[in-house]
Amino acid sequence: MIFVIDDDRVMAECMVRACGGEVKVFSDAISAIGAISDGLLPDLIFLDILLDGPDGFTFLNELASYVDTAKIPVVIVSSLDYAKMDLSEYGVVGFLSKEKMIPKEIRDYAKKYAG
Amino acid sequence: MDLEVDGILVAAHELKTPLAVLRQLALSFEGANDGDEYIRSEMVKVSERAIRQVNDLTKIRRLEDGLFVMEPVSVRSVCDEVSMELKHLFGYNNRNLSIKYSNRAPLVTANRDLLISVIYNFLSNAIRYSGEGTRAELTVRDSHDKVRVAVRDYGPALPFNLWKEIKSGSIEKPTSVAMRPGSSGLGLYIASKFSRYMNADVGAIRHRDGTSFYVELPISRQASLFV
Repeated sequence: MIFVIDDDRVMAECMVRACGGEVKVFSDAISAIGAISDGLLPDLIFLDILLDGPDGFTFLNELASYVDTAKIPVVIVSSLDYAKMDLSEYGVVGFLSKEKMIPKEIRDYAKKYAG
Repeated sequence: MDLEVDGILVAAHELKTPLAVLRQLALSFEGANDGDEYIRSEMVKVSERAIRQVNDLTKIRRLEDGLFVMEPVSVRSVCDEVSMELKHLFGYNNRNLSIKYSNRAPLVTANRDLLISVIYNFLSNAIRYSGEGTRAELTVRDSHDKVRVAVRDYGPALPFNLWKEIKSGSIEKPTSVAMRPGSSGLGLYIASKFSRYMNADVGAIRHRDGTSFYVELPISRQASLFV
């Protein structure tokens, strides 16, 4: 299962189309954390950074705080350039620029981690 | 910074997300038939050009923070990259682009991203204002202790007052160019701002049958020794 966390509904829908398979969409970090607390552990998370409420970094911090969630692979999807930041200790395995990404790149991540 | 210009830059920042969404929506229609595929591909390209322009505008705000690193940059590789990106657009608009490199100094001191934007804006203008079936010329040559990158179009001549403004080296606002319909002057404004940051000079030459816009960049002498 894949989580897409993005407060832009249309962008999230595009991500869902590209991923294929079982995808759950969350518009904020709190509801995604809530789903994980309820026992829903995704194989991969596509995470926007600028969200309503707590941002993507707060979400990453929360994930890294627990053993069972610390290793969930996360791909950051943002218009801001975080590609040069090393966030591997937060489980970040990749970065996609919203302005440049193509569906195949999304699909490749989905196949690799949740295929 | 001028309040009016600052307002434009804030608005540009707000436009980034919807433009990225539009592009992604167009990309989502995979597997379309040939006719639809053409429309889809045009939608992607149009939104990518808009994103580029919006990004350029948001960069103007960041110039004041001095965050763009100046480094030795190969002028030819930048020109190759930009002309390759715009090749499709020249063809689509039934224009040709001729390229001539005669510079001996291979490296200039610049910021690669900003230089790409300057040349991109010059070439985009040339596409828009050169007449159907005509060509634009991209030339790179040495000019004393600088390298000059020039784009010559075969459109309407540049008005004298704007030519003077460019010559004085300061374009404080985007100004629409009379005799060049549809022009907002935005490309020239962006090119001027970026060039000033790079200690480069922007200039224009009025021809009877068009205009050459150029940027002159300081040669990176020491780094050039190792090329």
